[in-house]
Amino acid sequence: MEIVESAVHDEARQRAQEEALEALVEQYATTLYRVAFSVLRNQSDAEDAVQEAFLRVLRHRETLGEIRDHRVWLIRIVWNIVLDRKRRAKTRPETDDIAELARVLPASGLTAEQRAAAAQHHARVMACVEKLPAREREVMVLSAFEELTSVEIAAVLDVTESSVRSRLFRARNLLAELLDHPRSIR
Amino acid sequence: MSFSTQDELDRNAGSIEAEETLRLIASLPAPQGIEDRVKSGVRAAHRQASVMSWPNASANKAGWTQMSAMRVAAAAAIVFVVAGGGWEVYSHFRLATVPTAVAAPQRIDGSAGLSAAAAKRTPKTLDGPVVAAPVKHGSGEGKGNMLPQGRVMRPLAEKSSVPAQR
Repeated sequence: MEIVESAVHDEARQRAQEEALEALVEQYATTLYRVAFSVLRNQSDAEDAVQEAFLRVLRHRETLGEIRDHRVWLIRIVWNIVLDRKRRAKTRPETDDIAELARVLPASGLTAEQRAAAAQHHARVMACVEKLPAREREVMVLSAFEELTSVEIAAVLDVTESSVRSRLFRARNLLAELLDHPRSIR
Repeated sequence: MSFSTQDELDRNAGSIEAEETLRLIASLPAPQGIEDRVKSGVRAAHRQASVMSWPNASANKAGWTQMSAMRVAAAAAIVFVVAGGGWEVYSHFRLATVPTAVAAPQRIDGSAGLSAAAAKRTPKTLDGPVVAAPVKHGSGEGKGNMLPQGRVMRPLAEKSSVPAQR
């Protein structure tokens, strides 16, 4: 009798974990995708990163109940995955970035020529962002997400909030300099 | 407005422009059906994980593995089989006995150069030099046969009856 109860309990617990995980996917898959895309700038790579993030969550599903802020925790997981992937991947040529941006950017009311020009401009900006030192670049990319406060960015990067602010300040100055003089690197 | 202030404003404008691009990229919509794809991937991985954690998975279907006695019995059976197999191998394994005598290779007699197979050929060597006892000379013998003191006369080596080796 005890065995049957234990089996039923196990099954119920497993079902609950599965449901909790599916709820997390439903709620945060889009956010995680956007975070992944902002770094990888490739749709399929970003989707793979999201998948990997949830597989990691599945592996640590026993600790799900202990997590206070699931959103920041998940962003942190996907952030580490994308940084790791980017480190391992070869650098893509800039033309790939332009093509990908032209494909995914909203094109309402734009002619094909305007769209191409916009994509080129954004690709140029992103190339400048790439030239920033890693710490500054990371803060800059994460600060673009309106739903993330500086406290949450600090939690994702595992640094203090004041550190986030100072890095953001430095990043803005460096970026402005790079956009003025594209050849000046750091 | 001073030149430096104007310059600073221009720089800020550049930075703002860049941040707008970043914001635009950050707000791009995710592809359609991403949730479903991720969910199905997670479900597949979850099933795989359940198969891997065998005792818990099978407990849902049949609870016998939960019984600790059965687990102990299964473990004991495995140990018994492994140990029995080991003993079976050990008992059939015989240590080589230490030989009481060593078979020496057949010695070839010197009559012919050929002999049985595997026989070891050991050439006969000439006998070593034989030291002859010093000859005692009598008083009536000639002085010419006398050797100086301390010198020994060595006879010629005997001629061997063994034919020379080819």
